[in-house]
Amino acid sequence: MIDVKNLSKSFGDHLVLDNISEHISSGEKVVIIGPSGSGKSTFLRCLNLLETPTEGELSFEGTVITDPKVKIDRIRQQMGMVFQHFNLFPNMTIRRNITLAPVRTKLMSQAEADESAASLLRRVGLEDKADAYPAQLSGGQKQRVAIVRALAMKPKLMLFDEPTSALDPEMVGEVLDVMKELAHEGMTMVVVTHEMGFAREVGSRVLFMADGKIVEQGIPDTLFTNPQSPRLQDFLSKVL
Amino acid sequence: MFQSIIDWFVSIGLRLDKAFIEGGRWKLYLQGLGITLELTVIALVIGVVLGLVVAVIRTAHDQQRVGRRKNPLLGFFNVLCHIYTTVIRGTPMLVQLFIWTFVILKTERNKILVGFIGLGVNSGAYVAEIIRGGLMSVDVGQSEAGRSLGLNYFDTMRYIIIPQAFKNILPSLGNEFITLFKDTSLVQAIGGMEMLYYAYTIGGRTFDYMPPLIGIALMYLIIVAIFTRLQAKLERRLRESDRR
Ligand SMILES: Nc1ncnc2c1ncn2[C@@H]1O[C@H](COP(=O)(O)OP(=O)(O)O)[C@@H](O)[C@H]1O
Ligand SMILES: [Mg+2]
Repeated sequence: MIDVKNLSKSFGDHLVLDNISEHISSGEKVVIIGPSGSGKSTFLRCLNLLETPTEGELSFEGTVITDPKVKIDRIRQQMGMVFQHFNLFPNMTIRRNITLAPVRTKLMSQAEADESAASLLRRVGLEDKADAYPAQLSGGQKQRVAIVRALAMKPKLMLFDEPTSALDPEMVGEVLDVMKELAHEGMTMVVVTHEMGFAREVGSRVLFMADGKIVEQGIPDTLFTNPQSPRLQDFLSKVL
Repeated sequence: MFQSIIDWFVSIGLRLDKAFIEGGRWKLYLQGLGITLELTVIALVIGVVLGLVVAVIRTAHDQQRVGRRKNPLLGFFNVLCHIYTTVIRGTPMLVQLFIWTFVILKTERNKILVGFIGLGVNSGAYVAEIIRGGLMSVDVGQSEAGRSLGLNYFDTMRYIIIPQAFKNILPSLGNEFITLFKDTSLVQAIGGMEMLYYAYTIGGRTFDYMPPLIGIALMYLIIVAIFTRLQAKLERRLRESDRR
């Protein structure tokens, strides 16, 4: 589904991603772990071109999306993204947060979008919040709405950047539950997280990043119980 | 002693009568005030339209994706906008008005029209900076969220960024209105018949400048005070809607 070829990204002369090549197949749940500053967010944000790679080529379903002629909005409509700080639109109701993009991109009529928003909200137990504003919601509720907002575009792939890191501990579970359900439904997911339990339970593959490189990867059980590189051993001894 | 106080009051009364009542002169002040308000509102409208265009061009230019080929047309307009704001903000308003009157529009006899243009073009440069600041004050996460959903740049601006920026822009626009309102008095210097023009002319005709000038100073003051009140009320409202 996604092909990353020799991806590098620098901010000024600071090399943040160093010649990464990777393939993500449809249906995979890829979990990215690694120390802070290792380039996890930048890697994720390159996948939907929120960051423009300095070098390398990205393809999504066979289309080279780093080609300047590609209509990037069309591509992004097929990739949902969930941010650490939710980034809900505070000037709109929850319903409008969810329906704005499907309606403006002509994916749905307003009526269809309203209906889809209602059923998505029901799925995450927030059907009574449709007319509320983001400021009236708890962190966990905001993040569930943010997930729903991304799902409303019927994406083929979901990107999560530390979706639970800004939450109070008692709200982490409710967001992870939604993500687990999504995983069971077969959504292709790329998740940057520090939740090792989630990585173990849901991840089909774990990538460990350090210094802008994917240092080690594998299925969660092997990677966590039998880490090869000293960097990963060191990292796991700190977080587990 | 007593007599002299009475004499003083009588003479003030006569001076006020001459300045404001005699020959229905008060109507001239009101006429001038009307022109002054008209100048303020129209200049602000021109200013907001110009400012919005300039701010959007400059923000769009600054937000182009790094590493990609820059849009040359946008680059050209950006330079133009930059020159415009620099020149306008770096030169005195009165000098600009004189240049409009005696250089650029020297055949135009309607000095109020020249005033609209001079004040409006001046205001646009300041409003552009106000709007640009307002747009930049919105968290980048907001536009990233919009774009990641597949919304294009203009929809993201229109539905997400501009409505949020508006709350920061509105109070500053109120200040710009007050500044403009007072600056309209400069149009007197190019022969525009606004409030100061009438006060000055009546002062000359009655050989007594004090009552008309103090009179219009009070009018400016009162209107500014009313507007400041309204502005404070509006700001309180906006803050309340934030807490929603
Ligand atoms: N917009 C940016 N400008 C400059 N440097 C950045 C920017 N974004 C990230 N960086 C730098 O890139 C490095 C990797 O950041 P990031 O991808 O956020 O790491 P992680 O998500 O793994 O913590 C960090 O050193 C960070 O300071
Ligand atoms: Mg990060």
